[in-house]
Amino acid sequence: MILTRGAYALPGTSLAYKTGTWRLQRPVHRHRAAPCHAACPAGEDAQAWLARLDEGDSQGAWESLVSANPLPAITGRVCHHPCERACNRGQFDQPIAIHAVERFLGDQALANDWPYPVSPPSPAAPEVAVVGAGPAGLSCAYHLLRLGYKARVFDALPEAGGTLRTALPPYRLPRGVLEAEIGRLLNLGIGFEPGVRLGRDVYLDDLRRQYPAVFLALGATRPRPWDVAGVVPAELHQGLELLKEWVSVGELPKADSVAVVGGGNTSVDIARVMRRIGVPEVHLITHRALPHPEVPEDDWMPAIPREVEQAQEEGVVFHPHTGVRRLVLRGQQLLGIELVKMKKLVQPDGSLKRVPFEGTEKVLRIEQVIPAIGEMVDPSGLESLLGCQEFLLVDAWGRVAGISGVFAGGDMRFGAGMVSIAIGDGRRAALAIAAYLQGKEPEAEPVKTIAYEQLNVNYYDHAPRAEPTLLPVAQRVGFAEVEGGLDTAQAAAEAARCFSCGSCLSCDNCWNLCPEPAVLKLPDEIPGQVRYVFDYDYCKGCGLCARECPCGFIVMEDEA
Amino acid sequence: MSTQEISLEELRQRQSRFRGLEAGHRACLGCGQALAARWVLEAAGPDVVVANATGCLEVFTTPWPESAWRVPWLHSLFENTGAVAAGLEAALKVQGKTAKALAFAGDGGTFDIGFQALSGLLEREHDVLYVCYDNEGYMNTGVQRSGSTPHAAATTTSPAGRARLGKRHLKKDILAIIASHHIAYAATASIAYPEDLKRKVRQALLITGPTFLHLHAPCPLGWGHDGSLSVEVARLAVQTGLFPLIEMERGQVIGVMPLRTIRPVADYLKLQGRFGHLFRDDPRAREELEHLQALADHNIEVFNLRADRPDPADSEGADTVRRGRRRF
Ligand SMILES: Cc1cc2nc3c(=O)[nH]c(=O)nc-3n(C[C@H](O)[C@H](O)[C@H](O)COP(=O)(O)OP(=O)(O)OC[C@H]3O[C@@H](n4cnc5c(N)ncnc54)[C@H](O)[C@@H]3O)c2cc1C
Ligand SMILES: Cc1ncc(C[n+]2csc(CCOP(=O)(O)OP(=O)(O)O)c2C)c(N)n1
Ligand code: SF4
Ligand code: SF4
Ligand code: SF4
Repeated sequence: MILTRGAYALPGTSLAYKTGTWRLQRPVHRHRAAPCHAACPAGEDAQAWLARLDEGDSQGAWESLVSANPLPAITGRVCHHPCERACNRGQFDQPIAIHAVERFLGDQALANDWPYPVSPPSPAAPEVAVVGAGPAGLSCAYHLLRLGYKARVFDALPEAGGTLRTALPPYRLPRGVLEAEIGRLLNLGIGFEPGVRLGRDVYLDDLRRQYPAVFLALGATRPRPWDVAGVVPAELHQGLELLKEWVSVGELPKADSVAVVGGGNTSVDIARVMRRIGVPEVHLITHRALPHPEVPEDDWMPAIPREVEQAQEEGVVFHPHTGVRRLVLRGQQLLGIELVKMKKLVQPDGSLKRVPFEGTEKVLRIEQVIPAIGEMVDPSGLESLLGCQEFLLVDAWGRVAGISGVFAGGDMRFGAGMVSIAIGDGRRAALAIAAYLQGKEPEAEPVKTIAYEQLNVNYYDHAPRAEPTLLPVAQRVGFAEVEGGLDTAQAAAEAARCFSCGSCLSCDNCWNLCPEPAVLKLPDEIPGQVRYVFDYDYCKGCGLCARECPCGFIVMEDEA
Repeated sequence: MSTQEISLEELRQRQSRFRGLEAGHRACLGCGQALAARWVLEAAGPDVVVANATGCLEVFTTPWPESAWRVPWLHSLFENTGAVAAGLEAALKVQGKTAKALAFAGDGGTFDIGFQALSGLLEREHDVLYVCYDNEGYMNTGVQRSGSTPHAAATTTSPAGRARLGKRHLKKDILAIIASHHIAYAATASIAYPEDLKRKVRQALLITGPTFLHLHAPCPLGWGHDGSLSVEVARLAVQTGLFPLIEMERGQVIGVMPLRTIRPVADYLKLQGRFGHLFRDDPRAREELEHLQALADHNIEVFNLRADRPDPADSEGADTVRRGRRRF
């Protein structure tokens, strides 16, 4: 049979016609930070490490995690995890249990002794002085090491760990975990000088002379003084002091009824400790509200919500929006406290003021009152630095104004107060110190995040969040850890729930949905490498791939 | 291997799945029909011969001297695809070849003009899979109404004006007519659910004898939506109940894709210019909206589309993705 011209064409010859010339917009791959990443005070990119875990590489996931936070077994237990409140999945069903997976990876690293991805510093590298071996100081030292510098850490106490060691109750942070993680960190080649107190054994000026840069991370270790209209009961013990004692000896003298005053972590912990040592009646008095989704967040008591919940389970009686108006004393003996309801109200000038409501007073009969209204920087030896401030004022990189080469972070600067914030401060300060030593300005980190609306959630299915098991209340005695960990399958399932906001999920959607097709898939899977390429010779720029990308990883850009 | 080590030409030839329709075709941006044809051929594989009626698919794939097809392909008239496919099948049989004959046509070529040949094909029990790419109008010739155009949609021959708000008549119930031919398998599918679509193609090809697939394929040009929305529009057609995904054997419904969350028809309609007049402040527009909602509700009732519990194969589970792959 003879086919005449015009009657046939060879297969696939349409490739000769480049439909890409029609295009007004082009699709491009664009990574954007996931909200969990932007919200993590320590600077962790949870999206990135959840992705490694989802690929089945738990060690790779841990390595990615510790590129920002060297203490995941610790933060996985005690961090207030604002990442989870920012998590896009929270708008779909429930946020990823980021802290629980973080703990899982931290514990895996301890169990398997995975080496930190850090090489020991060269002997010739400049050495930076770090004062304070709490999370801020340790994080700074670790990141200095990562950046090729040496670090020497001084602390007044005989052991490293800061408040984590002295005051964080072991039922939330078992000492074995703390020892193991901090021990591994110090073993990386961080110099540690215990028993050296700044302002007594060594002075800032000496350090500035001996070291090219100094990072101060002394924490806020002094309890804020408390009285009621100038009156205090005899035998007053601060919550923080009692906690430290319980943490180190495991016992405390006990009363029959106690009221703890304050709404932060210290107050909730000392209340829980009181229950653990057997005090039948424990009250907690706070000016603020209980954490609840329907209450504006700035009114929540500052303690971590899940700790409040667990304290309630353990029988601590909370008195929100309540203040102590008067101590009911018979001579020196405390009979009770007079409480009054109060609220934060907007004043005519727009400011907020706590207003006690007359007529709501009541007397609570208790034997002991324990103040825990916050901590402040111990100013001894720091007078010249602090001036009349309660906290140190630093810029976003931790640079102390007016003193070159001195950096600070963690609880001693204004606005911190959480472990992950201290870790982030240490990390940023290390970057700033490295820049300072190289005579440069530190480079700002990009923060553009991807919103829920920029995802295509049609491609995700609902799945319940992995909830760690909690110790039954009856078994919550002494140092027994309350919260359990996830098992391997639970951690993997949680990683698989992650939307991968702003990063390629390798789901094939663009490859499947391009009508041309102008999306091609690379033959081999290389972790971290995007597997799809746009063939701009044929892409017409319809935008379908961008629209149907579940993770918002494709954006359309105008052609020049 | 990365893009530095391989040219795009080479990469295109080394894709890990069969591509029956090549790039360089002239479909509009975001054309649902181009996408649908890609998937049908991907599932049907290379061992097929296609008869294709006149219409967009034929025109945009074969501007002489080029062809976007990578399978043997034959152009038929608008009205005789069924007959041409029947002849193809008979010829293949005589030659002792195992290739499967496919017939492709638009809704105009299926519901209206080619219907007689299609009916004959089914009645004579030819071993042919007939695929109707339903873009609900005669699009190739400039968006005229067809028997498949939904009620109240505006086309150039059913404009929305003072006298009438779009098409006066209903969308023809083609599947009921197909069902009455008593064939072994007929199904509807949508470009919004590619895995479901491909499964149905494979299912049809298991059968010796006539089978029929009705694919919902949005037309950005004729429906008046952005090309980027084609899949979204197709998904909403399913999730509102306006385009139920069903399977039939011998005329009996044997499976439906359950709807987990039923969306109001307005969600689907308001994305499309052809229904824009239904959102005017006009009592007749409100009435037509209610009418279309009633048609969707009717489908939901007749086909029992409401999911009683979430299911991985329902309207929200069936398109789920996982890292590194689709879920199914
Ligand atoms: C009871 C309690 C519970 C808490 N619970 C939580 C929680 O659940 N989650 C959370 O995120 N945060 C919690 N916090 C807060 C958290 O512990 C701190 O934010 C964090 O430890 C601050 O780290 P840092 O490194 O800045 O200071 P610190 O951890 O306080 O470390 C400071 C270090 O500096 C040393 N130092 C102090 N002065 C000197 C000096 N003059 N010379 C030498 N060394 C000195 C100290 O010995 C100490 O080791 C809690 C705090 C308390 C008190
Ligand atoms: C008998 C006949 N009448 C009219 C035409 C003109 N014509 C060519 S394609 C077409 C419309 C095709 O519509 P449809 O089958 O729905 O396919 P679509 O283009 O919408 O994909 C028409 C009317 C023709 N080719 N032959
Ligand atoms: S879904 Fe995953 S990537 Fe997105 S915010 Fe939550 S944890 Fe981060
Ligand atoms: S779907 Fe294809 S043609 Fe459309 S923008 Fe994406 S790559 Fe280009
Ligand atoms: S007119 Fe419609 S069906 Fe035809 S090529 Fe364009 S989008 Fe596709």
